[in-house]
Amino acid sequence: MKFDGTTLHKYTKEKKVGEGTYAVVYVGKQEFSHRQVAIKEIKTGLFKDGLDMSAIREVKYLKELRHNNVIELVDVYMSPDKNLNLVLEYLPCDLEVLIKDTSVVFKSSDIKSWLLMTLRGLHHCHRNFILHRDLKPNNLLLSPDGELKLADFGLARAFGSPNEDLTPKVVTRWYRAPELLFGAKHYTGAVDIWAVGIIFAELMLRIPYLPGKDDVDQLDVTFKALGTPTEQIWPNVSSLPNYDALKVYPLPSRQELRNRFSAATDKALDLMIMMTQLDPSRRFDTTRCLQDDFFLEQPLATSPKDLPTKSSGGDEKRRKTNA
Amino acid sequence: MTIPATTRPKASESGKSSKDGSLTPSEKKYVSSDDLYRHSSQYNLWSFTQAQLDEMRRAANEKGRKAALQRFEAARSSAEAENPAVFAAHGEELTSNMLELITYEEEQVFLRFICLQIIQICAHFNMPTQVRATAMSFFRKFYLVHSVMEYRPKNVAYTIVFLAAKLENYFILIESFCTRIPKTKAADILGLEFEVLQTLQFTLLVHHPFRPLWGFFLDFQLALLHPSPVMYDVSVDTIGKLYDQAKTWLNEYALLSDAPFMFTPPQIALAAFYDCDKRITDRYLRLKYLSEGPDSMETIAEEEEDPAVSKHKQTQKEQYDILVKTLKRCIVVAKQELPTSREESAKIDERCFFILSPQKLLKKKIKAFSA
Repeated sequence: MKFDGTTLHKYTKEKKVGEGTYAVVYVGKQEFSHRQVAIKEIKTGLFKDGLDMSAIREVKYLKELRHNNVIELVDVYMSPDKNLNLVLEYLPCDLEVLIKDTSVVFKSSDIKSWLLMTLRGLHHCHRNFILHRDLKPNNLLLSPDGELKLADFGLARAFGSPNEDLTPKVVTRWYRAPELLFGAKHYTGAVDIWAVGIIFAELMLRIPYLPGKDDVDQLDVTFKALGTPTEQIWPNVSSLPNYDALKVYPLPSRQELRNRFSAATDKALDLMIMMTQLDPSRRFDTTRCLQDDFFLEQPLATSPKDLPTKSSGGDEKRRKTNA
Repeated sequence: MTIPATTRPKASESGKSSKDGSLTPSEKKYVSSDDLYRHSSQYNLWSFTQAQLDEMRRAANEKGRKAALQRFEAARSSAEAENPAVFAAHGEELTSNMLELITYEEEQVFLRFICLQIIQICAHFNMPTQVRATAMSFFRKFYLVHSVMEYRPKNVAYTIVFLAAKLENYFILIESFCTRIPKTKAADILGLEFEVLQTLQFTLLVHHPFRPLWGFFLDFQLALLHPSPVMYDVSVDTIGKLYDQAKTWLNEYALLSDAPFMFTPPQIALAAFYDCDKRITDRYLRLKYLSEGPDSMETIAEEEEDPAVSKHKQTQKEQYDILVKTLKRCIVVAKQELPTSREESAKIDERCFFILSPQKLLKKKIKAFSA
């Protein structure tokens, strides 16, 4: 077993690149391979209830998921001060940085490529019965060779056990699916698909699609953009805990969506519509998304190595530290 | 639902080859649930044959005995330095012979007893099945590697229940956990968390047979009731009752046994159905494997068979036979008895206490000699 004394010297922490409430992130090297890695050191002492839950959840799921589009957990070890260290593959950029970097131009084939890689990574999670529950541009990391990887599994959980309640308090607000906004205790991978659909929109708009100011506003913003769900389009929606007789907005017309996403092709719009269906049971799953014609339509997805990267110019501070 | 037709290759044999990252054989165009399972840590790190399990447990016991002796010698040296007179007079009586080391057999019985205690702790907190099952799995893995002469099982059990609850979305604050279990301290429970995680090699996701059990429950209904009932006395109710029985079976037998180390979760789930109602389960398997559905009569009626068809049938028959054999083996493993008693376990626990704290044992004896 490789967690005796030798492990302690296997990595060097070279530079602190971020500090969050529960972790410090370093860039370092795996000594024997000289591979660059990110080391997330969990501040153990802070937690009176023992090891931090999101840290061990992250370990739990990343240990099982090996996929080109999911961040690799290289190793886990305890430092001498009894802190938990997660050694992750080093991914210097994330999609949020690129979206905000207005000097970078996105071609439609680039967007297609990022969407495709996101869906592949997500498909791998879902077929392993794992929900991510916190997809957003900031958690989609980019490797130097352009590969996109799902990261931050601190909110992930397994699904598919019968009669189990899940908490609706997941996913960063702007990417939260309507069933979560309504407080559903039973939900599926469709919540992740919704988030990807909203990210897809954000990639085209270059600004957040549904930026609610708070949880109440999020309902309003979401339904203003996509229509208020009613019993007709989403049977039994009114029985969800937080469903109120909301302000009823009409469903957006096709023309309205076309105006909103002027650069999108019909196939791009079709896919986005299927990913952002209000009724989760009508939303596409990862398989349907991946088989969608959009990905066969010209121009095809850009090869990862040809994707744009962040403009050079000391952008270190905006680097995703995942803390 | 895909049914695992073959018995699981031993981790030492083909299990290794699947680690190199080749997800599927080249001729396959899809990834099955079985392929995914073969990439799990449960399959790659925690799957063993009975012989391997026995060997690991014997090695753990041996490691525990060595650790106990070392601990004793260290304690003896410091005791001797403090009480040279007593050692001069009674030195030959103050040797490691005083230690009543735990034998391999005793260790297994004792561990079994603690496993039953884990069930009670979980019941005490009204924890869901998932927590109980994961705690059990962690505990049994921990003592594949370590001995009761290294870590006191009671303490490990508390830590593991706390950790399993945290990992399976049933988080309990450490204070309320300690308040509800007499004589526990937060530091003792949290202090072992690292040790447990390391021993588990940070593999924390356990595949239990409950999800496949549910899946088979649904598929039984589909296969046996639709479009029309296949067995005159089998209804939704019958299958529902069978499902409940099978669930109880998993909790009572499978989880406490070596079955999770030796069989895949769907195999264990099917074994539960098979042992609870062989007739219904066998009918289901025949429907799935031997095409003994409503249409099968026609196939049999056709005299001249295509060689490809008969070859296919033969393969099906082989798969069916292998599966049934596997299920029967699983049932035997799950139902292995290991009687325990509270009295005997209490005695072993006391011996463990002195093995883990030899200075206390020496002190007691020295006091007797000095009196």
